[in-house]
Amino acid sequence: MKARTLAVLALVAGLSTAGGVAVHLWSRGGSAGTDPAEVVERILAAQHADVKGETRRLGDWRGRVLIVNYWATWCAPCREEIPVFVKLQERYGDRGLQFVGIAIDQPGKVAEFAREFGINYPLLLGGVETIELVRQVGNRAGVLPYTLVIDRKGKLVSRELGALKEDRLEGLIQPLL
Amino acid sequence: MRAVLIFLLAISCCARAAEPDLLEPDQAFRFAARLKDASSIEINYQIARGYYLYRDKFQFTLAPASVKSGTPQLPPGRKYRDDSFGEVETYRGSLSIVLPFELADADVPAIRLTAISQGCADIGVCYVPHEQKTELRLASLSPGAMRSEAAPGLFSKVGSAADDALVARVFEGGFWLVIASFFGFGLLLSFTPCVLPMVPILSSVIVGAGRPVTKSKGFVLAIVYVLGMAITYAAAGVAAGLSGAMLSVALQNPWVLGAFALVFVALALAMFGVYDLQLPVSLQSQLADASSRFHGGHTVGVFVMGVLSALILGPCVAAPLAGALLYIGQSRDVVMGGSALFAMALGMGVPLLAVGASAGALMPKAGPWMETVKRGFGTLLLGMAIYVVSPFLPVSVQMFLWAALLIVTAIYLRVIDPLPPAAHGFQKFSKGLGIIALLAGLAYLVGAFSGARDILQPLSGLRVAESGSTAPETPFERIRSGAELDSRVQAAAGRTVMLDFYADWCVSCKEMERYTFSDERVRARFRDMVLLQADVTANNADDAALLRRFRLFGPPGIIFFDRTGREIQGLRVIGFQSADRFVAVLDQALGLGQ
Repeated sequence: MKARTLAVLALVAGLSTAGGVAVHLWSRGGSAGTDPAEVVERILAAQHADVKGETRRLGDWRGRVLIVNYWATWCAPCREEIPVFVKLQERYGDRGLQFVGIAIDQPGKVAEFAREFGINYPLLLGGVETIELVRQVGNRAGVLPYTLVIDRKGKLVSRELGALKEDRLEGLIQPLL
Repeated sequence: MRAVLIFLLAISCCARAAEPDLLEPDQAFRFAARLKDASSIEINYQIARGYYLYRDKFQFTLAPASVKSGTPQLPPGRKYRDDSFGEVETYRGSLSIVLPFELADADVPAIRLTAISQGCADIGVCYVPHEQKTELRLASLSPGAMRSEAAPGLFSKVGSAADDALVARVFEGGFWLVIASFFGFGLLLSFTPCVLPMVPILSSVIVGAGRPVTKSKGFVLAIVYVLGMAITYAAAGVAAGLSGAMLSVALQNPWVLGAFALVFVALALAMFGVYDLQLPVSLQSQLADASSRFHGGHTVGVFVMGVLSALILGPCVAAPLAGALLYIGQSRDVVMGGSALFAMALGMGVPLLAVGASAGALMPKAGPWMETVKRGFGTLLLGMAIYVVSPFLPVSVQMFLWAALLIVTAIYLRVIDPLPPAAHGFQKFSKGLGIIALLAGLAYLVGAFSGARDILQPLSGLRVAESGSTAPETPFERIRSGAELDSRVQAAAGRTVMLDFYADWCVSCKEMERYTFSDERVRARFRDMVLLQADVTANNADDAALLRRFRLFGPPGIIFFDRTGREIQGLRVIGFQSADRFVAVLDQALGLGQ
């Protein structure tokens, strides 16, 4: 290989590295003013109606390892992961694990789905403001499913975009329990 | 060498986080609508690659109430079985829906269309039902009105809804555009230094040495040869399209696309003569031997020669072909891929046909200009590299890259060198092209540094800034507390109220003021509203209470109240919004507020 070719390749790689870093910093900087830790506080404080119409807050479950799952019945990938949640809630509920589903959906459909899938954790309802919060915490396109893992102290441990596999989720939960 | 490349790629890739970059819904599902005729609206979606929309989730509503919408005519989608929902139909690529309507009142000046769509990305996430709006002016149906609105200009995109539809239609015709471009590329490829000088030799081989043939026989043999070549290329195009379709998820990943871009850059360097990319010479000569076993002059033999010749990739053709295949792989369109490469091969065959038909009289002379053609392909490949990664780059970075490419190209076209006194036509022509490239490049450079938000209008940042400085102050009434807000909303007496949260340190608020509130259409709608502003720069207890009351975290935030003084739910504007989008929000606020 000629020295000149090597130099050109090195230059290309160098420039693309710099570009990658710049874009990365840029996309981080784009959400300036929305510190995830602070957004999580607002997420915990936000009011949601549950399926029965009672007002709940995620903060009500503070002290437990909280898995907040944003989903909807019309969202195919969301439906796929729910049996995993039911299973893990069953397995680790006694040790302080708490799943909470926040559905961007109609109460009737959510209730029907909950019966059909035997959901054993609380389901709350979300709206436009919920999506806005989700965007601010890092899901910039506002898509579902989206899952937050919050430890017993209310600290955000992980943000998961897309359907979660059982082993991945278990790996995230285990150290927190 | 390969190890070094992989290593370098590996370094550059890990600089970014692994979280997939999703497009904002407005980018993933580009929406436009236009009046098709006096009783129907054509609604277009340009769906980004790797994204799809559900056929049964569309909802279209028309306002005002005197406009009755009919049943939308949805074309058949792609059917597949979904584990959760059974059989579903989805749309990908470009989609056109016709929505019939009836007017109860002939005096309606404009129709407001609200379209709700729901779609997902292949990586396994779905968007919440997404609302997009546009206004269709009925006056634009008359051809005279259309003409008076369309001001020409290199970078000016005039009008909103009507022009978006126009752009969408250009893309709809994209298939033939792509085919024609590939034909053109093929023709240009045949003018590169390793192809054109071979044409006469090839021509005599095809005809068969030492055999006198008529012009028509020579032409037919040339056609057969070119078809043989074209079929091989088409097969390669189909293969690229298929492999792209199989890799659809991976092709949404910025890393993969970034790697593609690097490959394009590497291919471009080959075209600039930094190194030679071609099939190993031994393989090339084996293929040449194989094809020489078939004798010229016979239709079948010539056809097989054509098929084999397509596989002999010389240094000029290999890199552009690889680029074309990558492009097709990325587009994931099998039909388009096959057709495009078929067209490209036909283009490459044109000189051969010309020689066959004219017995050599129509051939351009070989010369150093062919190197320019080769370098032109290099530039094109660099452009491809930018295009491939552009969905993941901010507009200003895209503009900077285009500026760099255009300006450097211009310099290579000797824009700033004086022309020799005896310059011939080609030099003048290339200098002219160079100057266009230089000016466009400068426009993009200015755009990149002046915060232009639209790649089609790099100078829009300047234009708005200029009009913003002359526009009068927007008449906002300041409010300081919740109590003051309540009394003002009460006093609004049946008018729609807009409350804007502002702070001196809030960049988006200033942008809103400068770019959006200064817009004529926005100002016209402001006249029908009561405008309140809460300045929360000081962030005192009152300010904090106001923000808390509306569950806002800080400025910018705009909230609307209907005439009974209640907040219009779901209509908040948070963050910067362009005038086009903001006008639609104001229309909805005014519509709901009455």
